Amino acid sequence: MTGLLEAILVDVAILGRATVFNLYFAFASIPVGFGLAVLVMLGRNSNNRLVANLCGGYIYAFRGSPFFIQLFMLYSLALALNLSVWKPLGIDWLVLNPLFLGPLILALNTTAYTAEILHGALRAVPKGEVEAAKAFGMGRSERFRRIIWPHVIRLAWPAYTNEVVFLFHATALVYFTLPVIDGQRDLMSQANDLFQRDYNSVLHFSVAAAYFLAVSLAVFFVFGLVYRHLMRHMPGARPLKFSLTRA
Amino acid sequence: MTETFEFWVSYLTNGRHLNWYASFQYTVIAALLGGAFALLFGIGGAALRNSSLPPLKLLGTIYINMVRGVPDVLFFIFFPLAFEQLVELVIAQSACPAGGGAGVWPPCPEANWFLGTGEYLLLASVSLGIVYGAFTANVISGALNSVPRGQLEAARAFGMTNWQVLSRVHIRQMWVYALPGLSNCWLLLIKATSLLSLLQITDIVRGANLLGAPNFSRTAGVIHGDWRWGYYLALLLFYILVTYLSEKAFAAITRWASRGMPMAERV
Amino acid sequence: MKKLIAVAAIAVALFSTAANAQAIRIGTEGAYEPWNYVNADGNLAGLDIDVMNELCKRTGLECTFVQTAWDTIIPNLNAGNYDVIAAGMSITDERKEAINFTADYSPPEASGFMMLESATVDPANLTGVKIGTQTGTIQDAYATENFATGNTLLTFDTASNALADLMAGNIDVILADSSYIDEAVANSGGALKTSDVTVAIGGGVGAGLRKADTELLAKLDEALAAAKADGTIDALIAKHFPTRKGPFYVN
Repeated sequence: MTGLLEAILVDVAILGRATVFNLYFAFASIPVGFGLAVLVMLGRNSNNRLVANLCGGYIYAFRGSPFFIQLFMLYSLALALNLSVWKPLGIDWLVLNPLFLGPLILALNTTAYTAEILHGALRAVPKGEVEAAKAFGMGRSERFRRIIWPHVIRLAWPAYTNEVVFLFHATALVYFTLPVIDGQRDLMSQANDLFQRDYNSVLHFSVAAAYFLAVSLAVFFVFGLVYRHLMRHMPGARPLKFSLTRA
Repeated sequence: MTETFEFWVSYLTNGRHLNWYASFQYTVIAALLGGAFALLFGIGGAALRNSSLPPLKLLGTIYINMVRGVPDVLFFIFFPLAFEQLVELVIAQSACPAGGGAGVWPPCPEANWFLGTGEYLLLASVSLGIVYGAFTANVISGALNSVPRGQLEAARAFGMTNWQVLSRVHIRQMWVYALPGLSNCWLLLIKATSLLSLLQITDIVRGANLLGAPNFSRTAGVIHGDWRWGYYLALLLFYILVTYLSEKAFAAITRWASRGMPMAERV
Repeated sequence: MKKLIAVAAIAVALFSTAANAQAIRIGTEGAYEPWNYVNADGNLAGLDIDVMNELCKRTGLECTFVQTAWDTIIPNLNAGNYDVIAAGMSITDERKEAINFTADYSPPEASGFMMLESATVDPANLTGVKIGTQTGTIQDAYATENFATGNTLLTFDTASNALADLMAGNIDVILADSSYIDEAVANSGGALKTSDVTVAIGGGVGAGLRKADTELLAKLDEALAAAKADGTIDALIAKHFPTRKGPFYVN
């Protein structure tokens, strides 16, 4: 029995180090993805048909294709542009590094999903309040800042929480596709590697699953606190309830 | 001009490419079979979730929620490996002499269960079924609860038995409420079929890599540089097309299922 | 438990082809020219394939090839998904801990360096460069041991993925088998070059088998010895590697 406990502790230590990469990928891509998503959402609702169609097409393309292939495709595309673009600019060392490109592709992916969530929330903003603000003499940007955006973020928060968890899960695919520098390993590739050494699938994948679960629960908890804060003025607001599928 | 055209035609129809085109069948089979399993597990999971027996209800709730915390790719890799080992362990009980070597797998050669592409494909489909079955169970469980109580009570008042209420009214009405969610599950599932190469299947993704990577060997065909992104782009367009067609199909099914139901059109 | 055993038995009966003592499966990568690759017709080809077909003919074994990813090729052999590895795999002490090897069917050769024609990298003195290898190869292990400090090491799933990064300038140099490098340089239209600097890593190339399969190993070794003695193996090496100076096995 002590042998098992020891084996679990060894796995916890090894996979704990690997989790740092998944956390890094998620932390580096989430803020960027959120910022871009707001822009794409605004573009999608722009009066300019070209901009609206481009943003709509972007959302459809990234939501309609597997992240796994997006990683392969964008890495080989970035590589194809290396000699003609990145090298002359002197940024090739940065662009093709998995620690930069991984979060970038994750951000491009989550931008599309988040923009769709925000777009849905935008359409659900009560029209009456916007009209009232207009009648009040508020300008476009003031209306957005003070009336529309607070509604959007409140409406979108539960779905966005799910998106963040899904994004964290998607980080497991980065090292299955990009070249590995100096033997870096994330949670999933490390668990796979451990399995290939001793074929103990239950042990290694359970510990890896426990790490994913722990981080997911932490995300739900923190985002739940934020949601309570967002809804603090609404007496009797329902607690955060999650939908299971990605938006 | 015709020369380059002829070159591309012959290049894109050589044996390597024909192999690649043929490998699309794995993706299609995994999607259809995985979808069927997902529906099966989904109905089972929803039945557990809505069960009145607390242990079954708990089981259903755990099943539905596990996919929330653990990535699909982990299930996808783990389930086939663990299932293979379980089968081999069971065979080993009778086939192997006691005290087989430690740290080796399978415990003895007689207990080996060979996994080829067909076996992996089946196991991959079951994995997809387990993961997306949990999503589906959530959708179906929600849809069952969305059917207006009044309709069920009306059916009972007509003298229908519990089973008749369930099969003739409850489940039939449920589909309309479930379709948007099911459509979502299906779209997630088809995207997950891109992971087949992680299970030793030479699928369209691995095929694209092998075809597109630079070739500097005379005997391996046309010598070319890195063409991978072109192949991957083709795969992206393939998936986007499948997504588009799936959405159209689900819209048509929804229209058909909700005919004569003015309530449901707002769902 | 009884029920479970019954279900498992049915599953095995359904999905495994009947155990035929005369049939073996051979795992190969199919992405390492000229050792093993898929040719334009869509068939596996290369020295590994030809040698194994020759040995199967001589032993009367019925052989089928299984294409598999390189980085899991040893675990999948041990897991029983094929019976023999023939994938240009060098015989090393580390691998011998996990599997058995036949005698070599290609003699030890040096590993070389491959660079872009315009590159100024000095393979004899590597510092501050990005070195690419294929994951799990002897060159990967060698680079980790000898070049890790002061350089950046990148590992790739397949040899040709590393080649793509070299062509695109994302890595400065590839460390690989000389036979692979010679083939690539010769067909690169002057885009690539190699150098006289080589390192001796690993033994010859042999076929890998599970530790338990001693009978099959003896059978293959016997056939291999005969094929070496009568010049068949030398002829196959000459066919696939025009630049390697033989004969190696016939005096």
